[in-house]
Amino acid sequence: MSAPTRRGSRVREETVRFTFDGREYLGQRGDTAASALLAAGVRRFGRSVKYRRLRGVLTASAEEPNALLTVGRTPAVIPNVVAPQLEIVEGLELRSQNRWPSLDLDVASLLQAGGGFFGAGFYYKTFIWPSWRTYESMIRSLAGLGEAPRASELGEVAVEHLHCDVLVAGAGPAGLAAARAAARAGARVVLCERDPACGGELEFETGRIDGREARDWVGSVLAELKSLGVRVLTGTTLVAASGGEMIAHAEPGGLPGRNTMHKIVPRTLVVAMGAVERPIAFTANDLPGVMLLGAAERYLACYGARAAASAVIFANHDRAYPAALRLADGGIRIAALVDTRAEPEIGVPAARDALRLAGVRCLAAHAVLAAHGGRQVSGATIAPLADPARPMTIACDAILVSGGWSPALHAGVQEGGQREFDPLAGGFVARAQPEWRFVAGAANGALELGAVLVDAHAAGERAARRAGASGSAGRAPAGEGDAAPGWRPFWRSPAPRADEKRQFIDWQNDVTVADIRQSLAEGFRDIEHLKRYTALGFGGDQGRLGGLLGAAVLAELRGEPLAEVGTSRLRPPFHPVTMRSLAGLRAGAALRPARCTPLHAWHESHGAVLESMGLWMRPRYYRANGVDSFAAGIAEARRVRESGGIADGSTLGKIEVAGPEAAAFLDAMYLTRASTIKPGRAKYMVNLREDGLVLDDGLVLRVADDRFIATTSSGHGLHMLSHFEHYRDAEWGGRGVTLTDVTEAWAAIVVAGPRSRDALGAVLGAPWQVPLAALRHMDFARGSYAGHDLTVLRASFSGELAFELHCRPAIALALWEALIAAGLPPYGLEALDILRVEKGYLTTAEINGQTTPYDLGMESLVKLGNPCVGRELLGREAFHEPSRPRLVGLRAADGRGRFLAGAQLVVPDAPSRPLGHVTSTVYSPALGEWIGLALVARSHAADGTPLLARDPVRDGDVTVRVVPTVHFDPSAERMKA
Amino acid sequence: MTRLICPFCGPRHLREFEFHKTVAAEGGSAFARVYERVDSAELSIEHWQHVGGCRGWLLVRRNPSTGAVTDCQLVGGGEPA
Repeated sequence: MSAPTRRGSRVREETVRFTFDGREYLGQRGDTAASALLAAGVRRFGRSVKYRRLRGVLTASAEEPNALLTVGRTPAVIPNVVAPQLEIVEGLELRSQNRWPSLDLDVASLLQAGGGFFGAGFYYKTFIWPSWRTYESMIRSLAGLGEAPRASELGEVAVEHLHCDVLVAGAGPAGLAAARAAARAGARVVLCERDPACGGELEFETGRIDGREARDWVGSVLAELKSLGVRVLTGTTLVAASGGEMIAHAEPGGLPGRNTMHKIVPRTLVVAMGAVERPIAFTANDLPGVMLLGAAERYLACYGARAAASAVIFANHDRAYPAALRLADGGIRIAALVDTRAEPEIGVPAARDALRLAGVRCLAAHAVLAAHGGRQVSGATIAPLADPARPMTIACDAILVSGGWSPALHAGVQEGGQREFDPLAGGFVARAQPEWRFVAGAANGALELGAVLVDAHAAGERAARRAGASGSAGRAPAGEGDAAPGWRPFWRSPAPRADEKRQFIDWQNDVTVADIRQSLAEGFRDIEHLKRYTALGFGGDQGRLGGLLGAAVLAELRGEPLAEVGTSRLRPPFHPVTMRSLAGLRAGAALRPARCTPLHAWHESHGAVLESMGLWMRPRYYRANGVDSFAAGIAEARRVRESGGIADGSTLGKIEVAGPEAAAFLDAMYLTRASTIKPGRAKYMVNLREDGLVLDDGLVLRVADDRFIATTSSGHGLHMLSHFEHYRDAEWGGRGVTLTDVTEAWAAIVVAGPRSRDALGAVLGAPWQVPLAALRHMDFARGSYAGHDLTVLRASFSGELAFELHCRPAIALALWEALIAAGLPPYGLEALDILRVEKGYLTTAEINGQTTPYDLGMESLVKLGNPCVGRELLGREAFHEPSRPRLVGLRAADGRGRFLAGAQLVVPDAPSRPLGHVTSTVYSPALGEWIGLALVARSHAADGTPLLARDPVRDGDVTVRVVPTVHFDPSAERMKA
Repeated sequence: MTRLICPFCGPRHLREFEFHKTVAAEGGSAFARVYERVDSAELSIEHWQHVGGCRGWLLVRRNPSTGAVTDCQLVGGGEPA
């Protein structure tokens, strides 16, 4: 196992042990999983997702479609980790994906072998009888990329907010030149680079900048950027840039775990993310051993890893020649250099002569037709383009392919602007950009080092100017490197129709030329339709490798120019981002903070089962009172009617409305008048929305001539405050009224039941005896308890003699415990619901955002004629049609049947035509039967009307009859006691 | 659009604000105010509230095509005191 130490710009001598599919390998510190495995001779990295074809590593970048690995052990696995980005560390456990039981023997791939390939849309067309569901689970078990984690050990995510003048994305030669120009001009600059090191292709290309080695120039620029205070974020990918906020995602070591989301708000953006080398389509171009030419160069220069012993190079541009020389220098035998261009189009005669001198066959106007080999490349079939029928085979263990470069606009150019095909650059470049965005260097179609530097320097300076900087950016760096590529269009090698299903366009989604042909034949001509039909560009690279290739093949098949076919829309994210990072700090308790009442700890320690209502946590029932919510609710409700009980009402919204205009303002907010309420009195009031539907209801207490407390339902407090504020500021003129949310300034305890007044008197003591006795229904008195403010309001949501104690949170617990000691046990929401349905009181089940005051039987309130928000639209005809619902009570016809909220109400003659629905039901301990409230068409709302409550998926159908909404104590004698 | 310039608080991140509705031009019947809205690719007139700040209600004019905010002032047209 001991191999000589490799040398490269990124690897150190230190040995690192790791395993791949159970076998131990040695790598070097700084290696990626891909470089270490390649250096160890591994060629097969996984299988493809659909056809289960053996795949090798294609790239040396985040665009990698094949070498996606699973890290760790079940259940805490991390799937789909990109091997060329994953830095190996001691003890790392890696597994290949999409194979069972092993990489070389995969059962699913054998299934494929018999029937040929499944083309695009195969599953949807084939598995339709008797239904997709018959096959779904079997197909899904084979589908998917990697294994989903069942447990997560992902660490904390950091979120960092940054503000700067200029954000430069990409730290290749263009990004470095642009960042330096902007920083010299005086702008605050942030530079982000997805690789762990800066320099881009200068890491392996030879060139000179300002009279020195390009690599030395990189070091000097980084030093200057540091001195200018530029923040350089390496290992950080710009994944989205829209709406003025840029998201850059850092994943140290290429493995989720210690990620940082940088939320950057720059004034201007320079996109210098380079260009992505793309493949050429030829038969079996997905065989392990087929690799991008630039990837082989990077593995050699950065990691000292040879991707092959003997390679055929296949390209359509001049850059292949110096690359071949560098690879040959590095010890890779170049079996042939196959150039699709004719002799006169080749612009690097010196490099070509040097290759020939070294014994490399240089074939002009030739193409690689097919890769040979069973499990990996063993040779290349090559033929002259003029006569493809006369091929030859050259033995090799790799085919290094380069079909040109596609400007990487996918992260920076997602919003606004246009793109246009540039035939010189051989890709789509950005045009007509928004004024805050500048594209520079290879991303802008410049592919020669000198031109890249001049373009990027200018872009950096313009970005700084636009951001308000005014200093001098100095002179642009002068560079000299590999010549302009002299690219000529060549997208796919000639192939018989039968071989097109092995001419791969998108490796990650197994999209081939045959799929594009089929898409077109079935009418999906548009590039966006093609994408959705075939999944071309759905992968982690978002089409950066194969997107343009697919568009070019589509153009060829449509017989139209590529410029007209275009490419599909660029969408964020640029690169897959783990859900954990997207959640950021909004995870766990921080995602949904709980609002707790001052009595929360007591509820928890006394067996309350809590329920969330909005963000509030409220007791649903107390375990001591029954085995489940049903039994406990009944027991608690029965006890309230028999003697009494207390409930935590602190979640009710409370808004203090004060000021000289307070009464007039509330008149405008409610259906009835607040100005007629006398100080010391409360009133049941209803709000409308602007469109006339009921918004909320609650009690309004007049504390003084110019001061009110408006209560709202528990879930509505903040919304009602906004509603009031909006009306005040937008319509009222904003004056004479202050609005203050006092929900949490007052705890509220509901004291209900025949014994409530006596118990309360005993608890509150002598000073309260007279006021308590004097309180009529809807009166309140203010005083104190244990030295703190206390308001006692006589009001009832249970139909019993009842009080609401509004007290300061400091005394809530003492008061609560004293009431319990006085013989009033607590009850929860279940009991509260029973009590209010028995009385026909409303909650959000009835005030559901679809009901008018007429629907809810509030005509008497409407008649009072107060001009208020929403009143004007109450007169609409549609609100008065016979099909409008009406609130009614319901009971089972036989007095025993159980019917549930949500059941549809119909007449037996027309069981499929709903006339309304059941909004609330409870088992009433006071009446000994199931009772409910419902909204039913006015035509069927008369007392005694028989209806069928249809509930096919739960209890079935129950015959019910319409009754008055107030089921219990209709004359309200108990409340007035 | 990720920032609004609140007349009270200055430039603040959009996450501090809550969108309420698009509004019609001034005046008109109650029906028009509720249901008839400016619906154009170039101009949207909206009410936002700075719930994570001063709770002020803002009248925002912006271009939905570009995201550019052309105007942001208090709904009542007043000036911050």
